[in-house]
Amino acid sequence: MCFFAANPFSPGARIIFRLQPRPAQEDDVALLKAIAARNEAALAQLYDRYRAILFGLLMRILNNREEAEDVLQEVFLQVWRKAADFDENRGRPFTWLVTLTRSRGIDRLRTLAARERVAETSAREVSEETSDAATDAFKSEQRGLVTKALSQLPDEQKRPLMLAYFDGLTQSEIAARLGAPLGTVKTRMRTGLISLRELLAGQGESFGF
Amino acid sequence: MVHEDYKEMIPARALSALDAAEERVLNEHLDNCSECRKELEEWQSTAAALAVVADPVEPSPEVRERILGEVRKDLSGSNVVPLRSTSRNVWSSFGSLGAIAAVVLFVALLVGLFVLWQQNRAYREELASKNDFIQLVNTPGARVSELKGIDLGAGATAKLAHDAAGHAILMASKLPKVPAGKAYQLWFIAPNKPPVPGKTFVPDSTGNAVLKDEMAGAALDAKVFAITVEPASGVSAPTGPIYLRSLEVN
Repeated sequence: MCFFAANPFSPGARIIFRLQPRPAQEDDVALLKAIAARNEAALAQLYDRYRAILFGLLMRILNNREEAEDVLQEVFLQVWRKAADFDENRGRPFTWLVTLTRSRGIDRLRTLAARERVAETSAREVSEETSDAATDAFKSEQRGLVTKALSQLPDEQKRPLMLAYFDGLTQSEIAARLGAPLGTVKTRMRTGLISLRELLAGQGESFGF
Repeated sequence: MVHEDYKEMIPARALSALDAAEERVLNEHLDNCSECRKELEEWQSTAAALAVVADPVEPSPEVRERILGEVRKDLSGSNVVPLRSTSRNVWSSFGSLGAIAAVVLFVALLVGLFVLWQQNRAYREELASKNDFIQLVNTPGARVSELKGIDLGAGATAKLAHDAAGHAILMASKLPKVPAGKAYQLWFIAPNKPPVPGKTFVPDSTGNAVLKDEMAGAALDAKVFAITVEPASGVSAPTGPIYLRSLEVN
């Protein structure tokens, strides 16, 4: 086939194309590869993209702005040093970042051994300083989907999940906190996470980071 | 404990909610079970979704500055410690057989180092190309077009970034091998004008290619980009079949 025989400007072939935002995940993979190659601008871009959501997560875990900012700094310096360890075949960049951030946050929480102490720090700090990013359509949509899925879980399944994820409690600690048998907590936690996965999967292509 | 018992523990592990003893036992199993490692990654993905439930909060601008300050320090500091040569006489330490074995090992080491050096160089070149691409994309006014394989090029994909000054970078993958004496050639196509030729290129053995090009004046108005197969020296007007093309950009 000759090039000119398939004239791209023939009326039938003309397709108006507007530059669409590239899928966030693909962009993130490219950024992590650039960071692995020691590209400072790529790290800045990744930070700007996820700072609000990751800092929000750390604030939820630590309830202390100074500690949360310190951990956020540690997280991104670890990203700088360890970006080459990210394997796109083993998971999404978002999962990698969140898992790293939460792990650091929970470690700090346990190190401080001050759950009660920092819990007194006003929860207003979180709600009053909500980022502009909260209005970002993409993040809002994802948040809405997860919140909706969680609302469909029975409270007895949801509470162990939230206590584990945001408070860093182990199953034994959760059992003690809720006054429930350990075996029951294990079952409810497992069932809750399975249900959450099924509910999110039910969102089809509209869900994904 | 059997495999299924470990699998039962994985969701709690994804939430870091196992007690220390259970986590230790499961971690030992994970070291030897790729199926469970894969399953843990899937559960971690589900658990990560919970992060978006937290209200997004802006950290103070100083955090960004602190992070980038540390990064700049890291980039500017070169802590390379020169290797110190040893004065030990190897030959006096070994018998003749030992010496031969040492020579064989040394040669094997050199070959291994050479292979690693080549792999490392290829890897660095690839990363450098991707860096250039990202930097170009971040230039004000830059555009990115996606090219898709058609007909003979079905399955191939490419992205072409260019800025207002005409600097262009093409990154292509899954390109079919070109016949001997032939090469791919990039074309810039503006409405109602003849295609402007770009450079020719040949993909590597995995079908990947990176091409840096400068768009001539007439190419700056291009709305469509295409790749054909042409004689290796390139042609001024396309003659071969089109393998990839973009849609029109407004």
